[in-house]
Amino acid sequence: MGLKQLIENCKINDTQAQGEIYKLFSSKLFSICLKYSRNYAEAEDNLQDAFLIIFKKIEQFKHKGSFEGWLKRITVNTVLQRYRNEKVFEIIPDDFAEDEEIEIDEESVTIDYLLQIIQELPDRYRLVFNLYVLDGYSHKDIASMLDINIGTSKSNLSRARQILKKTIENYNTKRSLQSL
Amino acid sequence: MKEKKHIDRLFQEGFKDFEATPKDAIWQNIEAKLNQNKKKRRVIPLWWRYAGIAALFLLLLTIGSLYFNNNNSLPANQIVDTENVFPEKSTIPNKEIISSNNIVVDNNDNKDSNRLSNSQNSIQSTNNNFSNNNISTSSIQSDNQKQILINKNSPSINSPEENSLAKIDQRGSDNVISEMGITDEKTNSNKQDISSIADNKTQENNPLMNSNAKNNSTIEEAMAELKKDDEATNLNKWSVGTHAAPIYFNSLGKGSSLDAQFNENSKSGEVTMSYGVSASYALNKNLSIRSGINKVNLGYNTNNVIVFESIGLSSNSNALKNVDTNNSGENFSLISGENVSNLINEPFIKTSNTSVNQSLGFIEIPLEIEYALINKKFGFNIIGGFSSFILSNNELFSEFNGNRTRIGEATNLNKVSYSANFGLGLNYKITKKLDLNLEPLFKYQINTFNNTSGNFKPYFIGVYTGIGLKF
Repeated sequence: MGLKQLIENCKINDTQAQGEIYKLFSSKLFSICLKYSRNYAEAEDNLQDAFLIIFKKIEQFKHKGSFEGWLKRITVNTVLQRYRNEKVFEIIPDDFAEDEEIEIDEESVTIDYLLQIIQELPDRYRLVFNLYVLDGYSHKDIASMLDINIGTSKSNLSRARQILKKTIENYNTKRSLQSL
Repeated sequence: MKEKKHIDRLFQEGFKDFEATPKDAIWQNIEAKLNQNKKKRRVIPLWWRYAGIAALFLLLLTIGSLYFNNNNSLPANQIVDTENVFPEKSTIPNKEIISSNNIVVDNNDNKDSNRLSNSQNSIQSTNNNFSNNNISTSSIQSDNQKQILINKNSPSINSPEENSLAKIDQRGSDNVISEMGITDEKTNSNKQDISSIADNKTQENNPLMNSNAKNNSTIEEAMAELKKDDEATNLNKWSVGTHAAPIYFNSLGKGSSLDAQFNENSKSGEVTMSYGVSASYALNKNLSIRSGINKVNLGYNTNNVIVFESIGLSSNSNALKNVDTNNSGENFSLISGENVSNLINEPFIKTSNTSVNQSLGFIEIPLEIEYALINKKFGFNIIGGFSSFILSNNELFSEFNGNRTRIGEATNLNKVSYSANFGLGLNYKITKKLDLNLEPLFKYQINTFNNTSGNFKPYFIGVYTGIGLKF
């Protein structure tokens, strides 16, 4: 059965088709949830919510554009919805160096570690970093999605990078100390 | 060898092909929720069905009242008059008295000979003897009448109170059962509602990411509110309350429940009281079903009636088709003042006329559906449903100069009757648990009387006020 037929069957609440769609896309969408959420458990909740919305809204999908892209957008929005409300109280200096080169020594950091430190970022930093760096949204898009202004989006991104860099550097230092 | 690398690149490369398989339990949760959705959808058509019934009923009511109003443009009295005036007209000059007697007579299917003798009587008597005439008329008719009355009485004799009590119990438990059934069917809507809101939001954001900031914030507000509401209803599905209401009873059409001769009399509804307890169960955020038990008293006055005692004459002096005076110590006769005053302009008759007060008591068991249009601190509902009534009190009084004398009871009341109810509900939430209610309700009675004259369509209006406690 083709994807198109599966989607059509989902529109009439065919449980089997829904299961197929879940099997096909749950891993990809769960990775989004993991990156955008605070921890594993919340990622699971978000994935569940995202799929419920997907199956409810699937009748609105008219096979224009990529189905996977549509699924990802819904997933990202589901997660944003959860965290957007939680305001970050922060004072960010306007002259924050935006273009500061943030480079890091190539080290064998595992994907699990990268995921862990992303999840540990404050909500807003995590969302902005994910949207900009990993999913390619512009600051303008991010500003409207998160209900912040573009400057805030940019400074949030800088802060996120700095925190990540510092965390990785500390980690590497610790590791090299241990290996000594 | 260590190579310097931009941190973005590090993450981009790291997450490039990142996929993670969620636990199987996630799909099981989703599947369960999806099935709940399917069940929940069934609740909506159910509500539509009720709404459909209500709409259909309203339609029938409208058509029915139009139809009956047209039919009754010719009062029954007129036809009767023309029939009976003929034989007397030829022989007797005093037309007016004759016709008046006939009105009394021809409601009872007496033999022509009887009628003739009556009219002879009245012709011979003078105006001053008028009341005597009436007495004699009615006593002559009484043999026939008595039999009819006895027949009518027989059903009402078989009405022990135990019977009706048992019925109340049964009904009560039925209601509870039906409510439980609905409970089972109904599934928890909390999660779903949240996800539906989430849906809306996603939709907003879909065209992507061009959605403006304002949109987002209003959706968020709505979501927060809905979440709150959901929590509230989840906690408080059941509610019990008590209420009292002034009740105004009247008829939609002209007509009389007592006898055709009173069709044209002026009538007035009395304001009486109803009180009771109710319980309701919330099917979802907006829809609840409720039942209860109420005591209802109704009062209805037929004005301009001449009531006179018929002591010393035959005890079977009743001339009204739906009234039984035998239970009272004395015997009374009633005649419509409208008919009398047509023929005699003497003022004393009008001034001495009394009104007949019909006093009815019922035990009411309503089953109503309440749909909330506004569900905030201040709530606004529409209410529809029906009630079953069990007759508990049935008396007729004559009221004259403040004196109230029991003259008997109506014989045409059904032991069990029904009403269609609709109205509005206003409520104010004092606390999360406690509500103040104000509900103007219109109850159209069906099958209350089984033998009415004219276009008698009883209804009552009550403004129910009370408090409700949620738990």
